[in-house]
Amino acid sequence: MDQRIIEFINALRAQGVRISLAESKDAFEAIDEMGAQEKDTFRISLRATLIKNSDDIPHFEELFPLFFQTSQPPFNNASQDLTPEQAQMIAQALRQFTEQLRRMLQKLVQGRPLTPEELNQLDRLVNMDDVNDMRFQNWKLRQMEQALRFKEVQQALQEMMEMLREMGMDQEKVEELQEQLQANQQAMEEQLKQHIGQKILENMLQQNRQERIDNLYNRPFQNLTDQDMRILHKEVRRLAAILRTRLALRLKRARTGQLDVKATLRTNLKYGNIPIEIRHKDHTLKPKIVVLCDISTSMRHCSELMLSLLYAIQDQISKTHAFSFIDRLEYVSPFFEGRQPDEAISEILQRMPSGHYNTDLGMCLENLHHNFLDTLDHHSTFIVVGDARNNYNDPRLDIFKDLSRRSRGTIWLNPESPPLWGTGDSDMLKYMPFCKRAFQVNNLTQRAEAIDQLLIQTSIG
Amino acid sequence: MDVNHQFRSPAELKTALGQQQYIASNEIATILYLSQQLGKPLLAEGPAGVGKTELAKALSGATGRELIRLQCYEGLDETKALYEWEYAKQLLYTQLLRDKLQETFSASLSLKDAADRLAAEEDVFFSMRFLLQRPLLKAILSDLPTVLLIDEIDRADAEFEAFLLEVLSDFQVSVPELGTLSAVHRPLVVLTSNNTRELSEALKRRCLYLFIDYPSLEQELAVVRLKVPELAPKLARQAVELVHRLRSLDLRKSPSISETLDWAKALVTLNAHQLDDTTLETTLSVLLKHESDLQRARRKLFSSPHISQN
Repeated sequence: MDQRIIEFINALRAQGVRISLAESKDAFEAIDEMGAQEKDTFRISLRATLIKNSDDIPHFEELFPLFFQTSQPPFNNASQDLTPEQAQMIAQALRQFTEQLRRMLQKLVQGRPLTPEELNQLDRLVNMDDVNDMRFQNWKLRQMEQALRFKEVQQALQEMMEMLREMGMDQEKVEELQEQLQANQQAMEEQLKQHIGQKILENMLQQNRQERIDNLYNRPFQNLTDQDMRILHKEVRRLAAILRTRLALRLKRARTGQLDVKATLRTNLKYGNIPIEIRHKDHTLKPKIVVLCDISTSMRHCSELMLSLLYAIQDQISKTHAFSFIDRLEYVSPFFEGRQPDEAISEILQRMPSGHYNTDLGMCLENLHHNFLDTLDHHSTFIVVGDARNNYNDPRLDIFKDLSRRSRGTIWLNPESPPLWGTGDSDMLKYMPFCKRAFQVNNLTQRAEAIDQLLIQTSIG
Repeated sequence: MDVNHQFRSPAELKTALGQQQYIASNEIATILYLSQQLGKPLLAEGPAGVGKTELAKALSGATGRELIRLQCYEGLDETKALYEWEYAKQLLYTQLLRDKLQETFSASLSLKDAADRLAAEEDVFFSMRFLLQRPLLKAILSDLPTVLLIDEIDRADAEFEAFLLEVLSDFQVSVPELGTLSAVHRPLVVLTSNNTRELSEALKRRCLYLFIDYPSLEQELAVVRLKVPELAPKLARQAVELVHRLRSLDLRKSPSISETLDWAKALVTLNAHQLDDTTLETTLSVLLKHESDLQRARRKLFSSPHISQN
């Protein structure tokens, strides 16, 4: 049992759930306390100790039955209580079908589950070895059912019943038989599903997760798959937590330092001006950020991660205004109100589906200048995430200059490497003189560094 | 009930909570029981108004222990949560005891001697007498076992979370002037969070996790029956069904259980016999607190009376 729990924890980790040693220890203590006899209590004990994030609960619920379900789906043998004549009739009816269908129907009549060899054969048919994600479970199930020709079997079942009726088997018996066979078919489906789940699990456990994450950190944004993005979103949250503590500490240190005489005198009036509570000058300034993200197809992943990182550290930033653009500007901050960043981002991306657009930063800058100029003041930092590839549209440098003059500083995050800046339709070099800093951010490591730098500059000054 | 009583099974705990008018699911009872057995804090997360705070109150009632509540907010720090020296009182005492102090010093021959004498009396001024106990310290030092509720921890800063770690894992607090103060009795700790921000891994690691979601129709109906028994059963069912339908809409803020209860009470007060359009029109604002939500709900509810559940 212990071994099984450890395997289960490993499988959860492979799904991207973070479980520490202390937590697995807690799980064992909880099981000692509650016992493992009652399945529901057992499940709740494990869940309360291992899962600390509501997003991870579905993973848990998905994996739990795969590990701790001992019962094989019930097959019942329909051929047991048949009279010889009835058996005869069925045999006769079966003869009408092709070889493969006959075998399947016979299996159903006798209530035999699929043998391991048959399952192995199916695995090879649908390439089970390459699958290592639970989301493919249903898809693979359909494929296997197709390989077993479930639909035709279903039809054949109907036909067979019809035939039996014609042959004069009594109605009640036919219906009973039909029910049993259908139940058997469902049991077979369940068996397949369990088998696929087990198989995916084995595959998942084999791959080394840690290695993947490290690779992901350094992989360029445009090469990320959707699944990578899912993992990365989780990592971004973790990264944000680290950044946040670092930042909070910095702010705290900045808060103690130079004595604020006026405030100290004022607070100590109640003690007869004996300086008991010392007040310091507050040097901190929580940065205000206005971010403009290019979400055209080439920049999508990059901007998505930027937004999710930014909103994950929101409590360290006094105000964030986010805009996204392709060929028009969209104010996206309202989407983040009271929502998890991932949800908000997927909604934004839905509003501006990818496709062929004419990226036009110039016009978007003009739009920003015209409608949202009040978001920018001398406290706010203006961040642009984009490749500055403007499709030869007017870059509107005059507006960019004005925006950057109004803000505390302008920072450009560009996923392209510096030698490419200014080549082709890239206006990067034209925008550069108005930026305080420009970073190349092509992967998460660079991104984290850039944000950290940025917060140092904006928060203490 | 005896405050030192330990529950012997989840079922017993569930019954005890039931006596406090709190309908706990098996899950809640099991996890609470585990929290008691393992001595670990319980972190309850979920949408606003599903009864997270109520759970701590019910637990306090069920165990007969005092409930000590710490409401978190942005900027909450140690002096508000743990302890503070009562400067004003110290100052007052020094002023009033001036004569006595003078007496102590009058016999001293040198400055050094006077300073030594003063140092000997130092303990008087840094003693528990002048320590203003805030909720956390109160929970730790209480002579009787308590229930400590740390409400809406997600509103506090990350620094405060880090500071809670010491308290929650060892149940001890170090005060520089006095040394380490350890808990007399381990309090039962319940933390609640509305999930507005990610809590740190370290804090989560030390807690058992309980996610409370909106209840099922039957569960919610049971709650309404228990808390507002005056409402006619048929009307109660209709009302709860409507609330569930509202939750399935895409609203800015879905109605919570507490709002369902408020609404049920409103229906009783208004002496409503059925949920007709006029009753709905006048009372819907009890359930929905945003104008845009109200409008959307009106459109959905009044345009077609039969909307599918999804």
